[in-house]
Amino acid sequence: MLLSVENLEVKYGNIQALHGISFHVNEGEIVTLIGANGAGKTTSLYSICRLTPPEAPRVIAGDIKFRGESILKTRPSDVVKQLNMALVPEGRRIFGNLTVMENLELATYSRERHADLKDEYQRVFDLFPRLHERRKQRSESLSGGEQQMLAVGRALMTGCNFLLLDEPSMGLAPRLKYELFRTLKKLNESGMTILLVEQNASLALNLAHRGYVLDTGELAAQGTSAELLGNPDVKKAYLGG
Amino acid sequence: MLKRYSIQLILVACGGLLTYVAYEELVSLYLLSVLMFMGVNVILSTSLNLVNGNMGEFSCGHAGFMCVGAYVSSVLGVWLFAKDKVFGPPVLPPELALYAFPLVILAGGVAAALAGLLVAIPSYKTRGDYLAIITIAANYIIISAIENLGVIGGSRGFMGMKSVISSMEDVAYLPWMPIWVFSFTIFCVWLIRRYVSSTFGKGVNAISQDEVAAEIMSVNTNKIKTITFMVSSGLAGIAGGLFAYILGYVNPGSFNILKSTEVLVMVYLGGMASLSGAVLSAIAFTILLELLRPLQIIKWVVIPLLLIIVMQFRPEGIMGSRELSDIFPWLKRFYRFK
Repeated sequence: MLLSVENLEVKYGNIQALHGISFHVNEGEIVTLIGANGAGKTTSLYSICRLTPPEAPRVIAGDIKFRGESILKTRPSDVVKQLNMALVPEGRRIFGNLTVMENLELATYSRERHADLKDEYQRVFDLFPRLHERRKQRSESLSGGEQQMLAVGRALMTGCNFLLLDEPSMGLAPRLKYELFRTLKKLNESGMTILLVEQNASLALNLAHRGYVLDTGELAAQGTSAELLGNPDVKKAYLGG
Repeated sequence: MLKRYSIQLILVACGGLLTYVAYEELVSLYLLSVLMFMGVNVILSTSLNLVNGNMGEFSCGHAGFMCVGAYVSSVLGVWLFAKDKVFGPPVLPPELALYAFPLVILAGGVAAALAGLLVAIPSYKTRGDYLAIITIAANYIIISAIENLGVIGGSRGFMGMKSVISSMEDVAYLPWMPIWVFSFTIFCVWLIRRYVSSTFGKGVNAISQDEVAAEIMSVNTNKIKTITFMVSSGLAGIAGGLFAYILGYVNPGSFNILKSTEVLVMVYLGGMASLSGAVLSAIAFTILLELLRPLQIIKWVVIPLLLIIVMQFRPEGIMGSRELSDIFPWLKRFYRFK
């Protein structure tokens, strides 16, 4: 088991956002967390990445384990550096005043100086040829879809082997959405473990191996994608009938 | 070859010229002191720009750190090298002051950097307006602490630095103050440029853009904030030490919130995150202050008014976030500004 979340309870100030949820991700899997707004999906990802308050929640009970060891005391920079997890945050959060190339370079911040990263840049540009075309452009001038590509490319440049994505399809045109999900599948086939948070439940379940349904900070359902796609409650609540 | 070292040559020439002019007393003492305050202001504005411009936090207690540096280097210098009513005879032979002077100033800087922790540690979990309030509080804490320290004069101030300077001049007669102010100014600007253009410094910019995004790019935000605040306040401490030795007298009142505001005006006038902007605006601001001197107290009506006008018509400051080389590309042949 690569990552396991055990009875996690977190708070933002006085408001409890997760009421003891548990889930796990195995190496090489695509796992998805689905649920409506306010279900606790982003909160879960922020907790796993150990981001600091005020943006991120405070863990009050439960545990997050990476390969069996608790990471509650790990610094956010070490989550990337030592555990090789990378988050593609909701709303992209790229560095707008930097160029595409500078954004990618910043992602190599904690990696060894002068390491040969040529192949890795090439991999990102192979996955997203548009980024190569725009590599000298300030990233705030990119379109929404291109910014999302940059956010994924930037996460890959951290040298991660576990990718956490928060609503990557938000604000993308349908064609771009499918393109992005195909890319995720390709990444997974080359060995990347993926934890995907999505509102678009059918899209996510069709990509993922397993899924968890969150509802207002509690686990409502879990199972393989096929099971969840066939579950009448999930169908009714999240798949439109 | 000549092109590559042109900036160094220009600086050495400037320094030499300044020394010569001061040595031969070709300019009045008044003009010389204006030039020295210009150097102090350059250090203050570039170091505050590091926090407010590059890191995107809003610090408005810069004068507090300047005060720490001023007092520590003054007291240390007087205790070691001068006869004083409170501290008695000099601890070390006054001839040594010549060599120890830069160390005394640096000691002030180190003390101010430690005082910078007063702001750096709260900044882990506080930002924006709330951090700004903490910086103001830090400024007040420092001022009040010194005002209540009777040993070093309290609110009456502290003096005796002139005798340290004169014992330096006794050993070798050179205009030491202009020389050291010039050297420290160059050192500070060089240090800040190296800092912001390093890989580590890219993290500073990342924090100003988006702290969460910086964290998930493995930028250790707490470490960067600590170091940046300490560098910034340490340099302010160096400026304070120089300021104290130029005047030969310090009192806590001259490092109050008004002084901090003055530095803020310089930063915002120059443009956020522009190092050359901060240098230029410090120079321009010093000249402006001297030109407006005949207005006396009305000066403090005119200067804030100027700030309003700048914010209204050019909110990004003189340079915006650009460097000189972005405006005059031919300068790049001589020096890479970024």
